Amino acid sequence: MLNINDLHFRYGKRSPLVLDGVDLTLHDGEIGVVLGTNGSGKTTLFKNILGILRPESGSIRFDGEDLLKMKRSERARRIAYVPQSIHFGALSVFDTVLTGRVSYFGYKAGREDEEAVWRILRDMRLEHFAARNVEQLSGGERQKIAIARALAQEPRMLVFDEPTGNLDIANEQLILSEARRVAREKGIGILTSLHDFNQALELGDRFFFMKDGKIRHEGGRGIVTEDVIREIFDAEVRIVEIEGKKIVINGGGKT
Amino acid sequence: MQAMKEHADILKNRKRNAAAIVLLALAVVVLAFVCLFVGSSRMSAADCFAALAKKGSAAQTRIIWNIRIPRVLAAIVAGAGLSVAGLLMQTDLNNPMASPSTLGVSNAAVFGANLSIIAFAGGFLSTGNNLTNYTVGANPYATSLMAFLFSTLSILLILALCRLRAFQPGVVVLAGIAIGSIWTAATTILQFYATDVGLSAAVVWTFGDLGRATYKTDLIMAVVVLTGIGFFSLMSWKLNALLNGDSAAKSMGVHVDLLRFSTMLFASVITAVCVSFLGIIGFVGIICPHVIKRLLGQDHRVSIPASALSGSILLLLADTLSRSLGNGSALPVGAITSFLGAPFFLAIIFGRKGEHDGC
Repeated sequence: MLNINDLHFRYGKRSPLVLDGVDLTLHDGEIGVVLGTNGSGKTTLFKNILGILRPESGSIRFDGEDLLKMKRSERARRIAYVPQSIHFGALSVFDTVLTGRVSYFGYKAGREDEEAVWRILRDMRLEHFAARNVEQLSGGERQKIAIARALAQEPRMLVFDEPTGNLDIANEQLILSEARRVAREKGIGILTSLHDFNQALELGDRFFFMKDGKIRHEGGRGIVTEDVIREIFDAEVRIVEIEGKKIVINGGGKT
Repeated sequence: MQAMKEHADILKNRKRNAAAIVLLALAVVVLAFVCLFVGSSRMSAADCFAALAKKGSAAQTRIIWNIRIPRVLAAIVAGAGLSVAGLLMQTDLNNPMASPSTLGVSNAAVFGANLSIIAFAGGFLSTGNNLTNYTVGANPYATSLMAFLFSTLSILLILALCRLRAFQPGVVVLAGIAIGSIWTAATTILQFYATDVGLSAAVVWTFGDLGRATYKTDLIMAVVVLTGIGFFSLMSWKLNALLNGDSAAKSMGVHVDLLRFSTMLFASVITAVCVSFLGIIGFVGIICPHVIKRLLGQDHRVSIPASALSGSILLLLADTLSRSLGNGSALPVGAITSFLGAPFFLAIIFGRKGEHDGC
């Protein structure tokens, strides 16, 4: 379980606070979706959780252990990252995923690391790509490889920054179903950010509405209401129910 | 079935990479002998073998053992060092055009050497492989030492400036260019006040020339270069992780700042040592890693040894060429590598598919 308490962060000593007292709790196997405008602090929050940035104050605990005091390799075995913009070197898919194991082997990959990679590739039906150069793959495939690389860390939780940002609709569905499968089958918690409310409603268990560096509203599907969206995004939407599913439709925006 | 095929393909790729490294190593050995047998004294292969076995005439034995072998060893060691230093700088800065000259290391070395020759009349001058035509100052290593000190100072200055900016790769390149131009300006001022003799000596120093190498300088370079390559090889997987971008590498548990600092420092020290003994030999760190990454990919387990070996090959070839073209006295090898380097630079610029950030 991830537990964030009163987290504050700013980029420079005299810069304004980007995270201004964030509290957030996410259980194992749960999918949490952070919703907020551009610049509301979502990516900064994720980078603090992952140890990429260091907070000014507050605590981040995982199963009671302080993530801020943990060794880098230890933290990498608990929380893994699928960044918003994905970069790879000119390596084979197999070696790219194997890179995710670096917190386990340090300097030289062993047989058990290679076996773990084969297991993950098999599990994600990526075996037939194993020997291919990762730079030659399509956007959706690369995103899957990035998930596989993160899973190679055998984490308890995945942080997934705008997973559908640059993908076409088929790849969007592929990645979202993959994320759901990982959470359900492996009991891995997922914390993600999405811009599309309908994708968020389809994927998420818990929702965190973020504005000006604070979580303003938090809860299950019930929390996603027209009023909350208006307050956070300053945008008009309508929420309708079709076949028992909540659908958010654009209400024409601010007039 | 598919899995077995992929398994086999991965093994095949690994074997191919290992074979490429073995081939490159063999090429280094063959070229070393070619380089040993080519020279202005027009010795036949039989003479060379005899001299190698110390059974030839005294002059021929001296040419092989005192001139050619130190020179060949310098080409192998400095080529490997400069190439690997370029590769590491490119990984660290996520920029295929990063090299010792981009970071101002070479400019600082030139200033140090100029200061020593012009202001302190120190020096260790040699023109090609003509044994009788060189002058030695109060201390033959004074110029090299000054070149080394200033290039190290320049590196430390850049690294210190960049710590203030948390090592953003773009900032490092810009800081390198800025500091490099300060050294160039200072060199120009020095040269303006120099005597004719001092000026010509200082200019000759900047020509990268393998003829200056001695067993002692080769040994110093070899210790530094081999230690560096050993360290980089140990860090191969962490460097592979860095190819995924700073954020991803940090989330994998890699101490990115420390890795970048230590590898940059090692790469810069290798450059400083080679430049201070041999003068400016540019573009080796751009040409070789570029070719190797194109042919064998970016996996540092392969690209580090392959870049090192290809660097040796390039310098051996360039040196053989420089001695064949020089009509008696060898052309500076640095001029040859720079001529070869420019087209590669253009190829990199026009071949780039798109920018991507490193952090």
